[in-house]
Amino acid sequence: MGLLGAMVKKDLKLLFRDKMTVFFTFGFPLIFAAFFGSIFSSGGSGSAGIAVVVSDLDQSTESAAFVQRMDEVNELRVEILPEHEAREATRKGKKVAYIILPDGFGKAYGSLFSGGTPEVIIGVDPSRKAEAGMLQGVMMKLGVERFQNALSDNTSLADVLGDSIKSIEEDQNIPDDWRVLLNDYLPKMKTMLEKEEAMTATTSVTANGDNGISSALTPLDLNFEDVMINRDGPKNGYAVTIPQAMYWAMMGVVMGFGLALVQEKTLGTMTRLVAAPITRLQILGGKALGCFVALFFVMTALFAFARLVFDVPIDYPLKILLALFCVSSGFVGIMMLLAALGKTERGISSLGWGVMMVFAMFGGAMIPLFAMPEWMKAMSDLSPVKWAILSFEGATWRNFSYEELLLPCGIMLMLGIICFYAGSRMIKLEE
Amino acid sequence: MIKIEGVSKQFDDLLAVDNLSLDIHQGEIFGLLGPNGAGKSTIISMISGQQLPTSGSLKIAGHSPVSNQSKRLIGVAPQTTAMYEELSALDNLEFFGSLYGMSQGDLKSRSDEVLEFTGLSERAQDRVKKYSGGMKRRLNLAITMLHQPEILLLDEPTVGVDPQSRNKLFENILDLKAQGKTVLYTTHYMEEAEKLCDRVGILDHGKLLALDSVDGLIDEYGGESQLDVTTADEVITLGTQHPVAELQEILREHSNITDLKLKRPDLEQVFLHLTGRHLRD
Ligand SMILES: Nc1ncnc2c1ncn2[C@@H]1O[C@H](COP(=O)(O)OP(=O)(O)OP(=O)(O)O)[C@@H](O)[C@H]1O
Ligand SMILES: [Mg+2]
Repeated sequence: MGLLGAMVKKDLKLLFRDKMTVFFTFGFPLIFAAFFGSIFSSGGSGSAGIAVVVSDLDQSTESAAFVQRMDEVNELRVEILPEHEAREATRKGKKVAYIILPDGFGKAYGSLFSGGTPEVIIGVDPSRKAEAGMLQGVMMKLGVERFQNALSDNTSLADVLGDSIKSIEEDQNIPDDWRVLLNDYLPKMKTMLEKEEAMTATTSVTANGDNGISSALTPLDLNFEDVMINRDGPKNGYAVTIPQAMYWAMMGVVMGFGLALVQEKTLGTMTRLVAAPITRLQILGGKALGCFVALFFVMTALFAFARLVFDVPIDYPLKILLALFCVSSGFVGIMMLLAALGKTERGISSLGWGVMMVFAMFGGAMIPLFAMPEWMKAMSDLSPVKWAILSFEGATWRNFSYEELLLPCGIMLMLGIICFYAGSRMIKLEE
Repeated sequence: MIKIEGVSKQFDDLLAVDNLSLDIHQGEIFGLLGPNGAGKSTIISMISGQQLPTSGSLKIAGHSPVSNQSKRLIGVAPQTTAMYEELSALDNLEFFGSLYGMSQGDLKSRSDEVLEFTGLSERAQDRVKKYSGGMKRRLNLAITMLHQPEILLLDEPTVGVDPQSRNKLFENILDLKAQGKTVLYTTHYMEEAEKLCDRVGILDHGKLLALDSVDGLIDEYGGESQLDVTTADEVITLGTQHPVAELQEILREHSNITDLKLKRPDLEQVFLHLTGRHLRD
């Protein structure tokens, strides 16, 4: 197993046998993430329907009524925005889809046989496929309503056709060649329909039928557009609170290891370490490695939990790995410095919770960075917590490029190296 | 085996060890007897390379105490039992053994041996925090012996140990001596020093006041034996350097002796003589 292996194993055993530490590394962060995540999420995409943006370019009574209907159904939560903003909102992942009612929608919607199928332009966030399917169903359901509207007074479609034929015959304004055509077409259709019995709305629900009669009877022409997602917001509240929770978990580990290091002295086991044929650097290196492994493990577990339970997207595992490595290194250094400065159990506790709490406050572990007032945002640069959280956010919903990740991750790595160097030089193994 | 020459240790304004010179030979049990604060633990921590002397020279089998060669030769049982309370005895042994580069196989067999030796085999899997004070002391010794050191530094190993465990511990230590190990044993109990040690150094305020075998110390510094002789008509009480000669004298004069008490001086008297104080107060 080797010396370092034995030291890491021992430290991890000790760490996870301490109930307080386990609570502060797993329990508390998860409670934190779940509690605040659910608060933030209720404003986002909850269970209250698919969040869509609608842009009505037609501005007719029919289109307005259609928007009204979309707003009424439970499956959708509608916000009305100009076309450009509607597209933006979807592109940035703030809404699941945009729905555009183009010019001419109302005319087509209102008449059954003239003006063609009403067109609807839809763009869906590609990462929300499940909701896209549901959206399509809802739209078709609403589209079918135009037939129901036309047939609402208990008349059959055939009757409607009959009425149409009659009115065409009586209407003097219709050009002759039109009249001939319609008089030929409509009665044939009427006979056919009567033969096939009454049409039910459901059988006509097809997304893009475009041949023969069904073309006229397609409820809506759903024209799906590709959406290039450029998400610059978290997918849900948990995506914000999980990086914050990571910080609390790291604090748990850092405090646990800082205390354990001091306790080696107060409980006397350090005497045995110092009396053993190993170097000071090996003793401290063993501690550092143990702390690193614990941090890495705890945060990986939290990410897995976030993915599985809170549905936080993990799209860039390599970037997360990079962030985990650098942030863990940073906090190993902080642990070492804390142990050196705190000296005693009490010192570590008060220094740890005191200083780290302030860092947390200004670093975005309480108020998310993006929700901070400007002056606070400016101060946050001084808090290592900010860079840790930014590393995680960059590797998740902020979707940083590697170049962009370099700044927060590099800062954490440098911080770790500097703090470890300073801490390991200052720390006294013997009283 | 351990060669200490003119070693002093200064803590701020306190001279904890004062110009100490001492040779501890291979295979002996050497006792350091002194009251609280005499400097016993400080000497042990310098021998084991945990602290550096302020001045003077220390050599362990010719090596510097901070060298790995020296550290391998030495096993320390610290005064405060030093182990991880949340781990089992076996886990502790495994961890401390690995600090000495012991292989897995060695660790297993040696752990079993030392647990057997200290009578802890049955509790090997229990967490140390569930142990009694005496059991912790025994485990403290077991850990110290694990890597088969040639030199054992035992710092007050019997503190808080009941008489039964104490006797067991004495047996252990005498066994170690029989195996040819060198033992440095600190205590402030003179009975222990008398019982165990081949040679004893008397330490006070960091100074080595005397060094000899127990008998040698008593002969030199113990003063008079106290002799109580009861005859039919009187009780004769006298202090004497030569109790045997004195007794023969009395026997010649009195034929009706009914009782006889001889109290030889002990290390307590030696300490009193050397410092003007009692060992325990
Ligand atoms: N790290 C230290 N810093 C300052 N003073 C110390 C330190 N270690 C020991 N001393 C002082 O040195 C003196 C000797 O201490 P030491 O622990 O060696 O005594 P001891 O003989 O082992 O006593 P005891 O029987 O109580 O264990 C004491 O006065 C103690 O206060
Ligand atoms: Mg002591």
